Amino acid sequence: MLRTTRLLAGLLVASLVVVSTPAFAGKKTTPPPPPPKSTPTIVANALQSWMSPDIQGAWTAGYKGQGTRITFVDEFTGSDPFSGNWGTGTKTQLHGYWTSQEAALIAPSATIATQNFYSGTTVALAPTGLNVINLSYAMFATAGYNVNQIGWSNQEASIISYAKSGRAVISKAAGNDSVAMGTRTRSGVQDYLGDALIGAQSALFVGALNSNGTTSSKASLASYSDTAGSNTSVQSHFLVVGVAANKTGLAGTSFAAPIVSGYAAIIGSKFPTWTPTQVTNRLLTTARKDTLVNYNATTYGVGEASLANALAPNSIH
Amino acid sequence: MGAALLGATLALLAPALCYGQSGQRSLDLIDIHQGGGLSDLVHFLSFGGYELSGADSDGTPAFQSFGPWYNTYWRDFSAEWLLTLDDDFGITFGLSTGEHGEKYRIDPSVQLGFIAQAHPRPNATLTLTVATTLWGRLTEYPCEADYGNGLQTVNCRLAADPVDPAETLKYLLNEYPNRLSIRLTYSVAF
Repeated sequence: MLRTTRLLAGLLVASLVVVSTPAFAGKKTTPPPPPPKSTPTIVANALQSWMSPDIQGAWTAGYKGQGTRITFVDEFTGSDPFSGNWGTGTKTQLHGYWTSQEAALIAPSATIATQNFYSGTTVALAPTGLNVINLSYAMFATAGYNVNQIGWSNQEASIISYAKSGRAVISKAAGNDSVAMGTRTRSGVQDYLGDALIGAQSALFVGALNSNGTTSSKASLASYSDTAGSNTSVQSHFLVVGVAANKTGLAGTSFAAPIVSGYAAIIGSKFPTWTPTQVTNRLLTTARKDTLVNYNATTYGVGEASLANALAPNSIH
Repeated sequence: MGAALLGATLALLAPALCYGQSGQRSLDLIDIHQGGGLSDLVHFLSFGGYELSGADSDGTPAFQSFGPWYNTYWRDFSAEWLLTLDDDFGITFGLSTGEHGEKYRIDPSVQLGFIAQAHPRPNATLTLTVATTLWGRLTEYPCEADYGNGLQTVNCRLAADPVDPAETLKYLLNEYPNRLSIRLTYSVAF
């Protein structure tokens, strides 16, 4: 059975911290601090400077992701907190709290569920409403294996199953290695979780832009972000969004994926009867290319996710 | 433009019983105007719009303006007359043409009422004006929107908002004009 290690995409940029799962490695020597009793509550009443202005329209109309659930499989226990500021005050906390709070700020009425990615247990889905699963982590192992050789835990097996069967929107951070998704990194490892999601109907790979793009001020891919690459199966499910690290102190595709998770939740509020695959396709088909510097599918996939476009009709009569 | 000018220049003063010769029955045109009321409400809706998710041929996002849906060449036109029956009592009646645009309709209406006066003092007049409007309902029509998963019936104005399309239909306008107007005035001549 192949051993894999988890790598938090957001932390990679800052410190190249590798977090090993106890089941696989068990080499951590520092006992983790006790987990917070619950995810800190974020009250979103103002558009933060790092957010796309599209979000204001969603809030103005009073729709903030209600009736949907975003599940964060992330690091909620551990000893590697880091600092940042979503506009609600500087904090020092673990990766999972940063990612979940980011999405909660975008879609504050969505139900936020958390699962520590050390658990290895099946990810539960809400019985009704749209399910979104945010994956701001990777599963790295030495490059060169076939993805079918990976022995997944129930946790990842359930996530991959949901993506392939279209039971949940899977928003997956692309990675911070400046390589094409699905290829080996410079350190010779490969993200097999990303590989396993390629071709899945409701999976989205999310890369990071330096800023939110506009037609007058186009955005470019962040230097660290993985690209869509030449695999058309990746390109067709690859989105980019602005990650304004200069405003938040938080860089990495870890913080791109929650933005798309929040968008998916808001779209799910508007179209409560849509399937996760339909929500996924809506985000993909309405992405903008005219807000990106030298758009090409190899770099940007289908383009920059646009909440406003996703909510607006293609045509109306 | 023409409708606005007409409304501005031909609106007359509120009715009051005035006789050239005491006790003589007469019929007077007391008000004529275009627009106002529900027509103004709809006219206000014509401002604004939203970007569609599709792009024009030049690559820029297509924009859907509300103007074509809520503008009309003919604003609601109203005329009202006063039939004076005696020195202190008269009947008012009027007609409105109604109007319609691509996404709404205001039905024609009829106005009926009366004016009664009393003179509690020689130089004072107490006037009761009662008017009612029949019909004249404003109905807003929905749109068919394509969100990429088939057509959905939706409130045209809210189609790009993050609201369930079915939910937006609750906000379609379905308004009636002021049904009853009662006014009591007291005037003293110095």
